[in-house]
Amino acid sequence: MNAIACNIVSAMADENTEIARGLRRRDPDLLDRLIEKYQHRLLRYLVYLTGRRELAEDFFQETWIRVLERGGQYDGRHEFSTWLFSIAHHLVIDHMRRRQPASLDGVGDDGDAVQFDVPATGQRSAFDVTMQREQNEQISAGMRHLAAEYREALVLRFQEGMSLEEIAQATGAPLGTVKSRIYRGLSALEPWVKGAQL
Amino acid sequence: MLIALSGAEDVSHAEQSWLAAHLESCGPCREFAENSREAVRSLRAIPITAGGSLVSTTQMRVRQRAQELQRRQEWLRVVWVCCSAVTLSTAFTTAILWRGFAWIGQHARLSAPVWEVGFMVFCFVPAILSGVVLLARGTHVVNHNGSSQE
Repeated sequence: MNAIACNIVSAMADENTEIARGLRRRDPDLLDRLIEKYQHRLLRYLVYLTGRRELAEDFFQETWIRVLERGGQYDGRHEFSTWLFSIAHHLVIDHMRRRQPASLDGVGDDGDAVQFDVPATGQRSAFDVTMQREQNEQISAGMRHLAAEYREALVLRFQEGMSLEEIAQATGAPLGTVKSRIYRGLSALEPWVKGAQL
Repeated sequence: MLIALSGAEDVSHAEQSWLAAHLESCGPCREFAENSREAVRSLRAIPITAGGSLVSTTQMRVRQRAQELQRRQEWLRVVWVCCSAVTLSTAFTTAILWRGFAWIGQHARLSAPVWEVGFMVFCFVPAILSGVVLLARGTHVVNHNGSSQE
């Protein structure tokens, strides 16, 4: 069992090293593969962070351009996804700083502009699908009302499955702040969960 | 806080056990834990996917930018090689010219400061004149554009 775990960890480290080498060479084929591999994860993160699909798509493209330009800075010692999300995070922060001198405050706080897609789920009974869809809509509505830094922490933790250290690294926030954002984010979503259960 | 982080690898087994025992006895915390689980489950159930056109557009833009960077890198390499060649040839020719001026000064029975000044003039006057001409041309271009805009 331990041997299998060691092999997996070693394979991941090798993959990260390969990515780092390819990025230093600015290998376009590698970048094509990376864009395809991380497309959904990156876009989902950006949609939750910005709250606007069109803006998220712009940042999606800019993030990959930045990955190309600064690929030499990736050392391969950490997960590529953490570095990728960190680049996306800083792009959004820079954009917001140009608009107003704040960090993530105000991202996605444009009222009606904040729209998350909530498509129908799975192949289950109509009742289950409707219930699930309603609950997703409630949570989606709750997310729209959360501050961007809480949304970001929740998405990275529960959708991307990143560890607290990785989130801290990607967002540049201290570990304690990350924990507090997750806790506060979940607390702020509680009324929306209750609303969905009514 | 532990409830929010429960299930994460960042929470130790001892803390998980303590939390499980606490949730047995504490109603509000149990409710918060259930709501949190529900929120996380719903959050994971909301799929957001990238469209094919976004991916292909991004790949195209990245390839274009990669080509631009490649061209710029090649251009910088050429500039670097040219600068190195000019620096080397300048150092070489300066040494030869210095010796040449010294030899002429010796044969013409000129004092050292005289042929040294001559050497300076010979070396720097062309560069100074070129600079003046270029500056004048630049000023002319700016003036010309300024007047055409007016």
